[in-house]
This record gives sequence, structure tokens and C-alpha cells, in this order.
Amino acid sequence: MGKKLVIVGSGAGGASVAAEAKRRDPDLDVLMIEQGDYTSVAA
Amino acid sequence: MPYYIGDVIQDEDKLVARTPERFRDGGIEVLTRTSVMEINAKESLVQLGDGSRVKYDILAVGTGTIPILPGIPGQDLEGVFTLKRLNDAIRIKARIEEKPVREAAIIGAGFISMEMCENLRRRHIKTTVINMGALPVTRWDPIFSKKAQEELDRNGVITLTGTKTQNIEKGADGRLHLTTTVGELVVDLLILAIGVKPDVQLAAAAGIPLGKTGAIQVDFSQKTSPGNIYAVGDCCEVFNRVSKRWVHIPLGDIANKQGRVAGRNIGGSPMLFPGIVAAQSFRLFDLEMAATGIDEREAAQAGFHPVSTVIWGNALAGPMPGNSSVGIKLIADQSTGKLLGAQAIGGAGAVSRINTLSCALWAGLGLDEVAYLDLAYAPPFSPSWDPIHVAAQDLLKKI
Repeated sequence: MGKKLVIVGSGAGGASVAAEAKRRDPDLDVLMIEQGDYTSVAA
Repeated sequence: MPYYIGDVIQDEDKLVARTPERFRDGGIEVLTRTSVMEINAKESLVQLGDGSRVKYDILAVGTGTIPILPGIPGQDLEGVFTLKRLNDAIRIKARIEEKPVREAAIIGAGFISMEMCENLRRRHIKTTVINMGALPVTRWDPIFSKKAQEELDRNGVITLTGTKTQNIEKGADGRLHLTTTVGELVVDLLILAIGVKPDVQLAAAAGIPLGKTGAIQVDFSQKTSPGNIYAVGDCCEVFNRVSKRWVHIPLGDIANKQGRVAGRNIGGSPMLFPGIVAAQSFRLFDLEMAATGIDEREAAQAGFHPVSTVIWGNALAGPMPGNSSVGIKLIADQSTGKLLGAQAIGGAGAVSRINTLSCALWAGLGLDEVAYLDLAYAPPFSPSWDPIHVAAQDLLKKI
């Protein structure tokens, strides 16, 4: 496994980090943590 | 989300750009309903609500904003809402659909409040805006804010200006009884839309430096001061290309771009975030309102010598049917003749003109260039001298 990326929050910003980092480096171990029920909500 | 509450968008799933399942399909692990209690930057780990700890090599903070509450007794009563999370929107919509909601009030008169007015009226709910100030949407020149107020009036929205809410109580009738500085108001639904502040609690406790705005300080690669911690979106600052200052402008389109830039830097394809010009728009019933760049006050603070003009023109070529009036305000620097900001309002063509002027700001154009910009003229879309040209030529007289 590659480096561990932890993302706090899955709104527009956090969700974009997750998707783009994984796209650029598929070896990244990505964990996104969301306190609510939904990810990637368009406000 | 206001349009979901107004049932323009019917299905809440349509507001979710990507579900946890789709992230997981892409090899991204997702925990929902999970709170982060602490970021330990020294040991590079986060502590979760269940007490477990997760080590990281790289951390990205995207904690967003939290609504500013007015601090009124009763603000946490059932039937009182903020509009921040999708769950808030779902709860508001459920209340409207399950209970008889005949009357609603909104505290605050920013653009979220305006979007809510349109959508509550769409549902035939009697709506009152409680505004501490004299005019709504104060980012815009008072000339334009007055037009917004007229649009509210025209659509049956009641406005209380210079009014403070002092107390909220649940009456024996089950409704919300508001005590305000101008009297009592009884409603079935109350929305608190005063504004938001960056949610920086975790970051600040971890010693991640904040900027002057109170949001997390980042560099152009979205890095914070501990170099393995990034911040993106509404919780952090962003560079305004016009004022050359770091500002806090919580908007989803900016968050998307900052997130992508951070993701590239983390994933080994480095890129710098180019900044923003603070373009913004919203719709209020039959009006488009949009703004970009900075206003006179921000310009003066940034060391410019602002001059401005407001002109009214036709959205389309004069003889075209369905024409409407569009107002354009331009702000420029008297010393250099450079465009600094623009605002627009109208039944059509206000947002598209602000987009054009955002490009001009991005490129650092002078008013003399804006006055002769080659735009896509045809009678159904604009006069041959577009209101942009007219405004720029008018303002040039003051340079």
C-alpha cells in the first residue's frame, strides 16, 4: 500500500481531494471521514 | 438546496454528486456518521468519536462552515432550522409536506435568504424576512439592493427592516411565537440564515495557523503550515486576484477547484491554485443578480482609488420583444484605469455579463479595453453596444 491520505469532511472540497488524489496516484490509501449521512452534496 | 425545498429539484439523491458507494467503487474508503474529535499534528494521527486512532501520512481538512446563530432564546426549538447540511433541507421539506406550514419567517437577508423566499413562495407559504439592516443583499450597491427589495415586495414577501428578533417560544397552538423589536410574529417555520463562519475548531486546536479572516491559512498548493496537512473549501482562505489579498468566500465552486488542486499536489501532479475574482450570482424570482471583483470599500482598503458608475441598458437589442432592463455597476481604479469590480441586476443577461466581466478581471483588463471588448452581438442577445461597453465608456470619463 502507498501513503495514507486521511480527509476530514466530504463536502465539495474533501470529496474533490479524494477523487483527484486517487486518480493521480492509484497507490494512495485514501480514507474520507464524514460526520453526517451524505457525501459530496451540492449545496 | 433551496430549490430542493421548493420542489424544483424533487429528489434529494440528485443533490449527491457522488455517493459513499461510488467512492468505495473507486477504491476510496468512506466513513459516514463519524466524528473526528482531534487532529494530532505532532504524531500525525486523528482521533475518532469511538476512541479509535487513525495514522496519516497526509491529512486534508475540509470541514466547511458552521451557521452563525443569532443567540436568541428558543433558537433550538422544533421548527427552527439552519440550512447547511442536506439533512437540514430534508427536514425542512418534510416539515412543509407533513405539517400545515402556512407561514414562515427567515432571519437574515443574504442570498440564501433570498433563494429561500423564492422557494417558500413557490409553495404558497406566507413568508416574512426579518432583516436587521435596511436593505437585503448588501454586497450589491444600494441602488440594486432596492430593486431586490422591490422584487420581494412584488412577490408578496413581507419584509421587516431594522428589526431584531428577541425571543422565540412555542405557543399552546404548537406554532412559533416570535418577539421582535417591532412586535409579535407567529409562524410555523423559522429559518436562521444570518451567515456562516469557517469551521476551524479541529484545525485551531491542532495548532494549524488561521489567517486574518479566521479561516485556515493556506498557500497556493493548498498546504497549511504543517506541510503534510492541506486545507480546502469553505474552512480555508482563498487568494483574491483583484485585491491581492487572502479572503474567505465560502462557495462550492471554489471548494471544488481547491480540492482538485490539493488532490493533484497530493497525488504527485503539482499545480498551484490561481485564485479567484469573487464571482457570485443568485436568482430572486424573476431577477438575476450577480457580482464579481471588489467594491469601493474593499478597493480603498487594498490601496486603490476607486471610481464607479451605474448605468441601465437593454438586455437585448432595443426593438426585440421580451426585452428587459439590465443595470450594470463598474468599479475601476482611478490611478491605473484598471477594472476592479462589477455588479449586475436584471430580468435577463445579468449573470452572463458578470461572467464576461469576471474574465476581464481575471486578465487584469483596463476600462479602455473593456469599452471595446469584442462580444457576441446579435439582436436576441444584446444591443450592438452592450451595456458592458456603455458602462465602461461612461466610467472612462472619470479616469
